[in-house]
Amino acid sequence: MSIFLYIVKKIIILVIVLLLTLLLTIFLLGSTIDKIMIDNIRLQIINSLSGSLSENQRLNQFDDMSQRQKFIDQQTTLQIKSLGLDEPWYSPKKILNTLSQIITLNLGNSRFFTTYDGSSSVNDLIEEKLPNTILLFTTSSLTVVGVGIIVGSYLAKREGRVTDKFIAGLASLSLSVPPWWFSMIMIVLFSFFLQIFPARSTPTLAPNSPEYVGALLYHMTLPFITVVLIGFASSIYYVKYIVLRVIEEDYIKTLGVIGVPPRKILLKHALKNAGPQLTTMLGIGIISTLGGSILIEEIFDWPGMGNLFYNAIIQNDSPLIIGLVYFFTLLYLITRLILDLTLSVLDPRIRTEDN
Amino acid sequence: MVSKIIIKLWSHKGGVSGIILLLFLLTITVYTVSYIPASEREEWNNPSFWINYPKNAAPYWINFFLSFLHEQLPEHKIFTINDATVKNYTEGNDYKVQNISFFYEHSYSEFPPAFSVPYSIQIGDIPPAVEISIKRPDGLAFVIYYNSLDPISNSFQDGEEYDSAQQLLGTEDRDFENQKVVEEVEKNSNVISQRLFSSSREITQSLADKANFFDFPINDIPAEKVIFSDTKNNVPLEGKYEFVFSIYSFENTTNIEDIQWIVDGKVYGILGTDDFRRDISFGIMIGTPVALLIGVTVAISSTVIGLFYGLLSGYKGGRIGSLMVVIIDIFLSIPTMVLFIILSLNFGRSILFLIGLFILFGWPGIALINRTFSIQIKNYAYVEASKLMGESDFRIVLRHIVPQLIPFTLANFALSVPAAILGEAALSFLGFGDPSFPTWGQMLQDAHFSSAEILGYWWWIMPPGLMISITSIAFILIGRSLEAKSKLNKMR
Repeated sequence: MSIFLYIVKKIIILVIVLLLTLLLTIFLLGSTIDKIMIDNIRLQIINSLSGSLSENQRLNQFDDMSQRQKFIDQQTTLQIKSLGLDEPWYSPKKILNTLSQIITLNLGNSRFFTTYDGSSSVNDLIEEKLPNTILLFTTSSLTVVGVGIIVGSYLAKREGRVTDKFIAGLASLSLSVPPWWFSMIMIVLFSFFLQIFPARSTPTLAPNSPEYVGALLYHMTLPFITVVLIGFASSIYYVKYIVLRVIEEDYIKTLGVIGVPPRKILLKHALKNAGPQLTTMLGIGIISTLGGSILIEEIFDWPGMGNLFYNAIIQNDSPLIIGLVYFFTLLYLITRLILDLTLSVLDPRIRTEDN
Repeated sequence: MVSKIIIKLWSHKGGVSGIILLLFLLTITVYTVSYIPASEREEWNNPSFWINYPKNAAPYWINFFLSFLHEQLPEHKIFTINDATVKNYTEGNDYKVQNISFFYEHSYSEFPPAFSVPYSIQIGDIPPAVEISIKRPDGLAFVIYYNSLDPISNSFQDGEEYDSAQQLLGTEDRDFENQKVVEEVEKNSNVISQRLFSSSREITQSLADKANFFDFPINDIPAEKVIFSDTKNNVPLEGKYEFVFSIYSFENTTNIEDIQWIVDGKVYGILGTDDFRRDISFGIMIGTPVALLIGVTVAISSTVIGLFYGLLSGYKGGRIGSLMVVIIDIFLSIPTMVLFIILSLNFGRSILFLIGLFILFGWPGIALINRTFSIQIKNYAYVEASKLMGESDFRIVLRHIVPQLIPFTLANFALSVPAAILGEAALSFLGFGDPSFPTWGQMLQDAHFSSAEILGYWWWIMPPGLMISITSIAFILIGRSLEAKSKLNKMR
């Protein structure tokens, strides 16, 4: 299979998954969204009716309340028809319509949430929160992999039974501890007992004030340390495993025989050849933290997408939920795609692996 | 076969510790299933079941560590009618005084956080009056509560009135924390049951009159911090306290049915209690069978599906094989956490739904591993030989490929248990757990909602998470050592 076909296949899968997720979301939340829109229309009509008129004049327009109600109903049904809301959400036309709206980022307004500036548009909300999520989880994932590569390759060079067992045990342990529970423990430890870091990671300052960045970084410290602590043991363990496997290959052994210094072998040859696997590790790390971000951000009250998603679910804010599902899925799939592409460039074997 | 596996596991240190942890969990499961009846397990979310327990009490063993600092936290004491000394005093035919005294030894460096007195009295036509007084170790004695009970049997004779009263009580019962006196009236018996809390208005009011006993203002101090306080400073006064509950009745039929004196503690039980007064050790125990059930059911189903799907796609190859791989690819590229949440939003809060969800997204990973194996085994000489001998595909898979994969499948089984348990805990934590099956994740959700981590209730947060970790690591250790010991045979 050529690299072109490989990329096309991966992109097709990406699109299929994205469409499936969106269809499922529409399927699950579609009926509530229609209800929300109809309510909005009714509200608009009532508002326009009251307008600037005083209570008396408004009542004089109609003979009695029932006539007024009739007028409102009539106007509402008219608007509903013109917007195509009279069709059930599962009609193909409607689904296509909703789908195209989502894909073109026409995500509508959140029901309960606003940005700091007061905008309730879902796009603005995501735009405000997304950088925070990326800031926290990419820096911590990179740190985890960095620590893994440095300590892991150091340990691979000098195999000590005690440290090996210790790291292996620690790696198993960090896989079995729920990260979000560990976050709670960290808050108890650092915010309640030691009182070094704040328990709530949303800075109280306004986002446009000059000290905001500093405050944000200070508030980020505890979540950052937590994510790094959760990940570093498995990272070291896998790097060591990967490097050891590469070191045992014949061509590396030959280099040792020729007289190339071990340090140079490790840095120049072993790590280079372990590149694809290390990339996979980084990618998987980022992908798995993305899913976990919902819980961790909620516990630390970090102002990111995961926290927003959790709150949107609690409040049942359907437009926001749909928007966030779209972004989460997109972020996840694009990370995967980049990972796949990098791998196929770094390691040509992967492309031909099928059968 | 089974003995072989156990021997294999036993020769591996990780396997041994995994089995020991698993046995620990199984012991708890057996104990819970056989000694805690299902009806009691359902009481977890019922606040009135836990009303006699202290609120936010730490585990009792922290007093052992505090003894090095010469500090002790008050223990939870429940005095029943058997612990009390009852004295009767009668005058004439009708007038009767019943004194029920409890003795409480206070030797702690902190005030007890609260106390409550549930009592039920059988009354006749004329309701009695009740009085609670206290004799302190420094000789001070005063009345903290006096009330003449309402004549219930007359006022509630009208059925309709009774119903409305009951309704009123029902609504108040739900948030009994705010309602300090809970009153229960049984219609046909003349028994009146009440529960008096230390924070009730009557006690605060009668204490306000005693301000001249104390050298510090007592207006804004809760009742228990006044009653158990030294008169000079607001520090606990150690010594023996006597609580006297007196019933002044004017009728022979009046009699105390039951009374308890509950002095809340700041320490209770081996694991303490939470904000809803629930005993955490009880929650840990009833959570164990549920976690194991979810983990094992999901793991068995997804390994079996994954095994056969993987084998089929690997063995068949060709177009069907690749299509099957694409399906696996699609499943693996779905962001599961996001999908779980939106699915739970609509269908959630049922344990069967959660199990189904984890199976649906658990098998593809296992299928992929099994596929690689079956491609490998397919090309071994003995498989080709049996093909030449004319054995059917089905027979070859069943007789030659599946037996080879049994050790790997067992390892896969053990390794996919933690994923299900961690997943269930995470979804429960987000509030999508099944309320009729209390789990560790739900306990942590309650803790987070009550801001336990900010208030420092570590005993509420530690145990559930530790149990989740113990369960996961038990299966990971077993799985890892099974994996390390299994390899493919080229010859058969």
